[in-house]
Amino acid sequence: MVPYEYYVALSGLLMVLGLIGVAIRRNIIALLISTELMLNAVNIAFVAFDMKLGEVAGQVFVFFILTIAAAEAAIGLGLIMAIYRLRKDVDTETLTELKQ
Amino acid sequence: MSVLYEIVAGLGIPNFGVLIPEIIILLTAFVVFGIELFTKSRFWITTATTVGLLLAAFVSTQIETGDITFYGLYIVDTFSLTFKTFLILTTLFVVAILRPYLEAKNTYYGEYYYLILFSLLGMMIMVSSASLITFYVGIELASISIYILAGMFKRDYLSKEGAFKYLIIGGTGTALISYGIALIYGKTGSFDFRAIAETFVENNLDVGAIGGLIILIIGLALKASSVPFHFWTPDAYQGAPTPITAFMAVAAKIATFAVILRVMVEAFPFAFETWNLAWALLAAASMIVGNFVALRQDNVKRMLAYSSIAHSGYILAALAAPTEIAFTALVFYSIVYIFMGLGGFIFLSMMERQYGWRDSHINDFKGLAQRSPLVALLMLIYMFSMLGIPPTVGFFGKLGVFVALIGSDIWWLAVVLVVMSIVSAGYYLRVVIYMYMYEPTTKAKVNYTFGEIATLILMAGFILYLGIYSTDFWEISRIVVEMLMQSIGG
Repeated sequence: MVPYEYYVALSGLLMVLGLIGVAIRRNIIALLISTELMLNAVNIAFVAFDMKLGEVAGQVFVFFILTIAAAEAAIGLGLIMAIYRLRKDVDTETLTELKQ
Repeated sequence: MSVLYEIVAGLGIPNFGVLIPEIIILLTAFVVFGIELFTKSRFWITTATTVGLLLAAFVSTQIETGDITFYGLYIVDTFSLTFKTFLILTTLFVVAILRPYLEAKNTYYGEYYYLILFSLLGMMIMVSSASLITFYVGIELASISIYILAGMFKRDYLSKEGAFKYLIIGGTGTALISYGIALIYGKTGSFDFRAIAETFVENNLDVGAIGGLIILIIGLALKASSVPFHFWTPDAYQGAPTPITAFMAVAAKIATFAVILRVMVEAFPFAFETWNLAWALLAAASMIVGNFVALRQDNVKRMLAYSSIAHSGYILAALAAPTEIAFTALVFYSIVYIFMGLGGFIFLSMMERQYGWRDSHINDFKGLAQRSPLVALLMLIYMFSMLGIPPTVGFFGKLGVFVALIGSDIWWLAVVLVVMSIVSAGYYLRVVIYMYMYEPTTKAKVNYTFGEIATLILMAGFILYLGIYSTDFWEISRIVVEMLMQSIGG
């Protein structure tokens, strides 16, 4: 059996990838996918810790995260649609109008 | 009534009596949803929302004893009831001024009303959480409703852009908070605050547990728009419809401060050295960056957004000291910030409807005192209170935090607080100078509805009244914090 530490390490890696994605990607759809990636990293971490502790409470929490991730994705895609209709563009460099 | 209690208890929810304010808010939201769907009557939507909020506010002052329900997930004590009452009243004021603004901007939707109610429900769950599960669900219910509210300006691109930035950065905050929860769960094996407090002891911590706490703090700082995680705040605040900005800047912030205090004090009382330092650094950064960037804003709405970042700094600075007086100062400042924040943003919401008002640019304020002395005087009171000039309550808020920091020998942060308050005079007084010392460019009188002017006068009245009798609120805050400290055994 794979030890739980490997899964925690994997979740940490995915989390960092998601953070890097939010920081450097310029496509607004990729930004949304990056936040979803981070939430899925958390799910892996919860299941891994359940393996270690021999409990199920963490897996219950995973369901909450899944629901919330779905709600966020729905709103994010709705906003992307609205932005695309107004500007015909998905690049943050050219989209940004609110500045310091 | 007792039969009803037994039936509901049989269904699995003991003590549902303490949930009545939440139930009223939820039912009101559904009723407003129904009215919006079937009749679209604007009068009845506003009326139903107002009646529901008044009823919930009344009931939440009537519940006397604290109780735990939902099998230890949900706690209704003095702390949560006090914050709930103030959150409901804040929402009531926002609802009172919402309709004229939306109609003037031609962006009226009934959705605003029930989304505000759902968001309020999320905040009420937040301040009542006794476990990391309810805490997380409450934060998300509040935030997700606000993402929609911020982007609902009809055919306005800036609103969508601000809302999308808020969604992405808020979603990152959500992910960080849940990752912190995962690491804490991995260490302690529980989501319950008290169970965590027993396991989470200073000499028993490994790098994973400390990392979990730090990540949780970063996520919460992101939600409280503290520097260096503040990038979404000015954009989302500027893009959103102004009454919604008031709601975000006041209600959402206050609920976040309340939940931060509760999580830190109840779940991590024995790791306070870690979070004291973390919050002290975040608070100092917020005060410095918020105030300096606000200095060079020409748009007053954006300036107030940076000022709200600076205020986050003043409030969070109280978390640098693990004493009762510091927590009291935090609760006191959070509650009095309601009056200043609502006053400032509702003022902008009223002025944005006026003819010739150009997007709240500072030049629009020229000669306002000659056009309408009453309105200018009210804005002067809010600005003085945010700045912290003695007859107003803003002074006592800062004084409380200052005294708490001095009492714990955290001089460097106290000095930052005072110096940054002086810096903030640069932009608060600028608004006053433009109002009183310039000739007006137009002679038009300011039009206002009864709801707007009544709310503004009430806010100014509270600021002045509490500035003189500040001990009343200080006493409430002290009782609230005492109850909170008792629950962890001092």
